[in-house]
Amino acid sequence: MKKLMFLMLALMVGVSASAQNLPDVKVESQEAKVISTLDLVDGTPMIISFWSTTCKPCIMELNAINDNLLDWLEEVDMKVVAVSVDDARTVSRARAMTKGQGWDDYVCVYDKNQDFKRAMNVSLTPHTFIVDGKGKIVYSHSGYTPGSEQELFEKIKALK
Amino acid sequence: MKRFLLTLCVAAATMFAAQEASAQIKVGEGQISIALESNNSYYAPDKTLEDIGLVVPDKRVKGDFGSNDYLKVDYNIGRFSAGIQVDGYLPALYGYDFYDYAQRDTKLNMFLTKYIQWEDQNWGIRLGDIYDQFGNGLIFRAYEDRALAFNNSLAGARVHYNFNNMVTVKALAGLPRLYDMRSKSTIWGGDLSLSISDMAGWYDGVVAIEGSYVGRYQKDASVNFPVERNGVENDILNMVSGRLNFEYAGVSLRGEYAAKLNEDIYNPMYPAAKGNVVTVDLGYNYQRFSASASFRRMENMTTFIEYRNIGIGGGNAMNYIPLLTRQHTYSLANLNPYRGASVHTGGEIGGQMDLYYSLRNPKARGKYWNFHLNFSMFNTLNHTNQMTKQQMDSRNVWIDVNFDVERQWSKKLKTTFFYSFQRWDEEINHYDSPMAHYCRSHIFVGDVTYKFNKKHSMRFEAQYLASNDYEGDWVAATIEYNFAPKFSFYVSDMWNCENMQDGAYGNYYVDLNTFEGDYYKLHYYQVGASFTHNSLRVQLSYGRNRAGYVCSGGVCRFQPAYTGANLALTLSF
Repeated sequence: MKKLMFLMLALMVGVSASAQNLPDVKVESQEAKVISTLDLVDGTPMIISFWSTTCKPCIMELNAINDNLLDWLEEVDMKVVAVSVDDARTVSRARAMTKGQGWDDYVCVYDKNQDFKRAMNVSLTPHTFIVDGKGKIVYSHSGYTPGSEQELFEKIKALK
Repeated sequence: MKRFLLTLCVAAATMFAAQEASAQIKVGEGQISIALESNNSYYAPDKTLEDIGLVVPDKRVKGDFGSNDYLKVDYNIGRFSAGIQVDGYLPALYGYDFYDYAQRDTKLNMFLTKYIQWEDQNWGIRLGDIYDQFGNGLIFRAYEDRALAFNNSLAGARVHYNFNNMVTVKALAGLPRLYDMRSKSTIWGGDLSLSISDMAGWYDGVVAIEGSYVGRYQKDASVNFPVERNGVENDILNMVSGRLNFEYAGVSLRGEYAAKLNEDIYNPMYPAAKGNVVTVDLGYNYQRFSASASFRRMENMTTFIEYRNIGIGGGNAMNYIPLLTRQHTYSLANLNPYRGASVHTGGEIGGQMDLYYSLRNPKARGKYWNFHLNFSMFNTLNHTNQMTKQQMDSRNVWIDVNFDVERQWSKKLKTTFFYSFQRWDEEINHYDSPMAHYCRSHIFVGDVTYKFNKKHSMRFEAQYLASNDYEGDWVAATIEYNFAPKFSFYVSDMWNCENMQDGAYGNYYVDLNTFEGDYYKLHYYQVGASFTHNSLRVQLSYGRNRAGYVCSGGVCRFQPAYTGANLALTLSF
């Protein structure tokens, strides 16, 4: 029985070693230009966080990351991509909010028709991914509890 | 109950499996990804709700269990991808339009969507189910919103081509999904966008001109419908839209005008009419201050996928004209959301505005103030009452002013204060009455989050609502305890601390003459817990839910009152 468990575990670890690539989807940049999600891949590991103006835990998570970001950047090279899944109705509010919340260091992109959200299999927001410098998705987490941003930092550090 | 327990067991097994299986599956050079979402409810008997008439057990003919489930599997290799999604309504959850309007009356209602796609650098083609929109979606939007069990994906073909970012063209055609069947209507359309700034080699900002056309063919649309109220001359409906986008140095301006070129049914009770809508969005930001404002005037622009031989409901929509008022996250601020004046009067005019300001020292991130002010106002248009043929003047039907201030005191303590004033015309929600009946609510919320250490935190929320509407005043409180990153627990109660009066509660009219005393000062309690591990999330809760409108993306559905247990599970790998 133990052997079987070990075998299954080994199989699962083996499978998880083959990480998925970031899909190629069109989104809008902060400057309202259409860009490909692959343009985000530039050798720097990143946290990709899906949020919307009506999702309170999403905003809490992005604020918590923002509060810690300067400390984190002292230890690792990384960036944060905030993907708003707000549709035509609230996308202008989302654009205003990224500025009004002081998310100056974030790369903000807008996924108005939720193509990126669908391609990343996000059902509920917040949903956060860690993508390495080559565009491989190495970790994902859905939901937010205060303090869980530490786990993201640990995972990013482990990439080195 | 048995089925709910079975679901609980399956969830537990999935949780166990997911502990280690946060994995991806490689097939040759390609990869498969899988996502599962399952929302289940068990409806328990609640004599109090039944006595008052807020729950009509006979209405829940499909039993005491409901489950909306989505399994999505995608395969991707290079520029090629293919996928399927199976929606299971086993049966549909009570209160979703799918529950009332699905054509197949079965407890195991499934629907399959599928696609294959090639996405090259400058062009792409997709066959199968398409999710897309032109501009703001005013004349066409095919999308999915699971919070509403909404999905009107277009089964057909789409091609797009982009020339040096200067010119983008898109064309599509197909049969839209209507609840659990394919509609007999056909929809086709094209979209063209010209980036003037790219053509002129100006890269500091954006200037773009865009336009689209959408057609809908509905068999026998022009045959008398309903008999004496026709006016539809053509089986084909043509719609057009033009847009202008401008963005430079923190200023943005987006405008869109769209129109129905033929007479069309926008309300099955009223004669057909042409329609039009204009929207303008303005944005401005300077350092940590930002502002956005939207204006919209619409007339007869509700557009059904088909209106013959079918119940209408929220799922029967081929375009997207959502409500623009703020969607709140605090429960009492959401008790009486704006539901739109266009349902009974054809149109509305109004707008909303947001101001954000963040006061902070860029070096010390642990302390800051965030301020947010939001305002919106909507009026009816001058119109003819379709029942009495009386001329009706424009009047105000909704105003709200919302203010919230968020203070991060230290890494440990954060507080939020929120105030909302809402005034709405209750009459317009039920019919096009000549006399307004205004209800006013003042809502106060205090919200405190305290972090004991890196893993343990607690949140407490207190709310008070003072109102002259049918239900009167409310108080509410929530306590939440979190063990990051895996567990979270909460207990909450909304208490209608004043006696209800006779009145309309959504789809019900409550006559309280038969009761006396405090019998209907109702508590709406909830207890819940959630578990998260990687991409797996399981949430279990039990409580009493108020009858009211649940909105997502500016579209609302009526959720009847119920008491019961909910289990939600999402997983992707």
